[in-house]
Amino acid sequence: MMRMNRFLVAAGALFLAMSGAAHAASAVNLDAEPRTLIVTEGGSKTELALAAGETVEFCSNGCFVTMPNGDREALTGAETVEISGGVARIK
Amino acid sequence: MLFSAVRRIGATLFILAAVLLSQAVAQDLGKAPAGVIADQQEVITSLSAKVDALQKKMEASAEDDAGLVDIRLQLEQLSRELLQSGVAFRPRLTEINTRLEQLGKPPAEGQPPEPAVVTSERESLTAEKTEINAVLGVAENLSIRIDKLISQITEVRRDLFQNLLTKRYQINFALAFEVIDAFKTEMSDLYRTVSSWVRFVASFKLKSMLAATFFALAAAAVIIVGGRRMFGRMFEPDGRVEEPSYLSRLSVAFWSTLMQSAALVAFLGVTYYLFDYFEVLRGDIGAMLWSLFYVIAIVFFVSRLGMAVLSPRLPKWRLIPVESGAARWLMLLITATAFFTGLDYFLSSVYQVLGSPVALTVGEALTSTVVIGVLVILIGLVRPFVDEDGRPKPWPRLFRYIVLALGGVTIAAALLGYIGLARFVSQQIVVTGTILATMYIGFLSSQAINEEDAFIKTTVGRRIKRMFTLDDATLDQLGLVTSMVINLLVLIVGVPLILFTWGFQPGDMVTWLYRIGSGFQIGSFTFSPAGLLSGVLVFAIGYFVTRWFQGWLDGSVMARGKVDAGVRNSIRLAVGYAGVAIAGLIAVSAAGIDLSNLALVAGALSLGIGFGLQNVVSNFVSGLILLAERPFKVGDWIVAGQVSGTVKKISVRATEIETFQRQSVILPNSDLINSAVGNWTHRNKLGRVDIKVGVAYDSDVKRAHDVLLDIVRAHPMILKNPEPFVLFANFGTAALEFEIRFFLADVTGSNAVQNDIRFAILEAFEREHIDIPSTPRAHDIKPAEKWPADDEQAEALVAEVEEARNKRADEAAARRKPGRKKTDPE
Repeated sequence: MMRMNRFLVAAGALFLAMSGAAHAASAVNLDAEPRTLIVTEGGSKTELALAAGETVEFCSNGCFVTMPNGDREALTGAETVEISGGVARIK
Repeated sequence: MLFSAVRRIGATLFILAAVLLSQAVAQDLGKAPAGVIADQQEVITSLSAKVDALQKKMEASAEDDAGLVDIRLQLEQLSRELLQSGVAFRPRLTEINTRLEQLGKPPAEGQPPEPAVVTSERESLTAEKTEINAVLGVAENLSIRIDKLISQITEVRRDLFQNLLTKRYQINFALAFEVIDAFKTEMSDLYRTVSSWVRFVASFKLKSMLAATFFALAAAAVIIVGGRRMFGRMFEPDGRVEEPSYLSRLSVAFWSTLMQSAALVAFLGVTYYLFDYFEVLRGDIGAMLWSLFYVIAIVFFVSRLGMAVLSPRLPKWRLIPVESGAARWLMLLITATAFFTGLDYFLSSVYQVLGSPVALTVGEALTSTVVIGVLVILIGLVRPFVDEDGRPKPWPRLFRYIVLALGGVTIAAALLGYIGLARFVSQQIVVTGTILATMYIGFLSSQAINEEDAFIKTTVGRRIKRMFTLDDATLDQLGLVTSMVINLLVLIVGVPLILFTWGFQPGDMVTWLYRIGSGFQIGSFTFSPAGLLSGVLVFAIGYFVTRWFQGWLDGSVMARGKVDAGVRNSIRLAVGYAGVAIAGLIAVSAAGIDLSNLALVAGALSLGIGFGLQNVVSNFVSGLILLAERPFKVGDWIVAGQVSGTVKKISVRATEIETFQRQSVILPNSDLINSAVGNWTHRNKLGRVDIKVGVAYDSDVKRAHDVLLDIVRAHPMILKNPEPFVLFANFGTAALEFEIRFFLADVTGSNAVQNDIRFAILEAFEREHIDIPSTPRAHDIKPAEKWPADDEQAEALVAEVEEARNKRADEAAARRKPGRKKTDPE
């Protein structure tokens, strides 16, 4: 029984660690007009244009992003960026 | 008037609220705002300084491949730290943004001015945000710089390798004399260095050196003796064995190579380490000794491996069916190749230590690479096999061509002056060839274990069987798993080793692993092996937890709760399905596959499933209904259509029924739901049995009835209530028919009781002289006689017919007589 408990705890910890594993970040544009993010990833700056209502996956290994309103953010690659009214929110 | 008063009150309230709120926020993170920026600014500055240092180091070690890889790893680490420090701003940024939103936009012109507190707070927040943005901008630029440096390192390393392979040296006769001269001076240099070291050791460090050697020998002995004790006979080929199996040959080859090489490596490693520890080594000697040890280990390993595979002395233990003469010759060639490659490696490091002229390096490498090339070509030309006629046969064509080409390339490159290339090729021939050969043996052995019953015959298999008392089928599966594990191990160990010898640094591989682990993108789909692996792992864990929970629920809770076996089975199955389903769902989301995508696919497929998998789904649902409604449970005696038998197992799609002839019938669950199923043992096992008896017409019927009733009442297994009953059923054509009806507590064992009753009836009727009429069997019918003798009329008829025939005959005779007279007139 004791061993079983320890096993369960280990399994739980492993599961938590696993679920924290990073996947690509995604950005969704909720506005009616196209928005542009400036993404710095892998040594280069690229402009990521998002059409109205579009969702894009980007930044799988972490990056710096400049939002449409000029705010800067660092992303680890697991976040969802929501743009509404030209303002970006990170979830 | 009223309107403006309300507005004033509203404004006051708003100010109050704002002040309170801002105080609350300030209390919340009173010190934080300034803290975060200052902290992270400091972190970023220090990171920037580190990057500067690394860039300098990189410029300094532009010729050192390993150093460059190390720098790249550090840079990648810095890049991750930088990102972390950028992320550290997020909570504060979110706060600022929320607060700014609460404060709203500054009033446009013409609107009433807002309170001063609000304006000042907005301004301070905006200023802080600007500051954070500026710091993040610095971090962003630094990250770009780091990434550029990393790609620069990749480029430099590519150039380095290319230079090594394409640099051309002038080779002419003058070189020969130069080399001979240089060689003489360098050898005397070497002699002086070594002898001075030996003198130094002999006079100051003799004891430490002896101790070091002793400990090293002890370590090697531990491995050899321990290995012999653990693996015993698997260690050395036994010449007395007539026909060693393939697996035992393989394991002998593997263990003898591994153990002896491990012992030697341990000896050399411990020696070097202890020498270093006791400060016996001096700088130059240390480097030379290291490369000498390295070479000895490689050459020893290659020769051991060759010995194990070719086994020149014991032809029965050979892994490749090579002729004995060829085996000896190959053994010699392979060892020589390894020796010369090692010698070249060792001498080059000696020259490096002594700072010898380039000409010497070139000349020595030229000689040794040409020798190695020739040896390799000789290996390719050996005819190791025999064909059907007993004539020697060369290597398979592809292998021969590859070997000849490698040898040719080495010689050509060396003679043309591409010493770096020649050296690279010759070293790769030995090292990569060795690793490939070892991997090949590994694959072969996994294949051999994979064969049926092979694992049980191995020592490990026997030991496991004894320890865990497993049956053969389980052991066979274990063998399968073992072979898979061996394959995997061979790949995990072998591939990085090969890459390593091909000039990829461990750092490279770590980076690749990191990249592969974190996933790469194909279109809009991110494929991440780590994610998939975690999904599989989560599923496995979920599955085992479910199994354990099932066992616990069944074994501890329900068994103690005296729950009915059928209910237990139902609950256990339901829990199992639910657990596996949940584990699957969690695993899918852990693998990073979006469940909403899956829902889309499921929606599209549902139509297809509706038609195509109709039966399967209906059976599955029926199975669930069976578990919930429980018209029968495991162990029940049921009759479904033509099938009658005991329920063995209710599973997802079908139910297994075992008939009384021990035939297993798999009935789809939907059949059991949609049509009538009889269950003899639904609520209880009570059941009625009927036995028919016929009594002859002239018997004492009342007596017969009483006798039957007595018999059935006397039997101990027959229930008294409901009472047994003897029915006078029918006036049959041949007999008066009775039917004995009685109830049994357990109808499944009715056959024995029926037997008892029938025997008893026979005995009792005999005693009471009551007949049981049997329908008379039909007698054999004799063929009817032609003329029944007693029929006078018929006799008379026959006599009449006879008489008439005689009369006709007489008349005919009378007519013929006068005719004859006519033909004879005289």
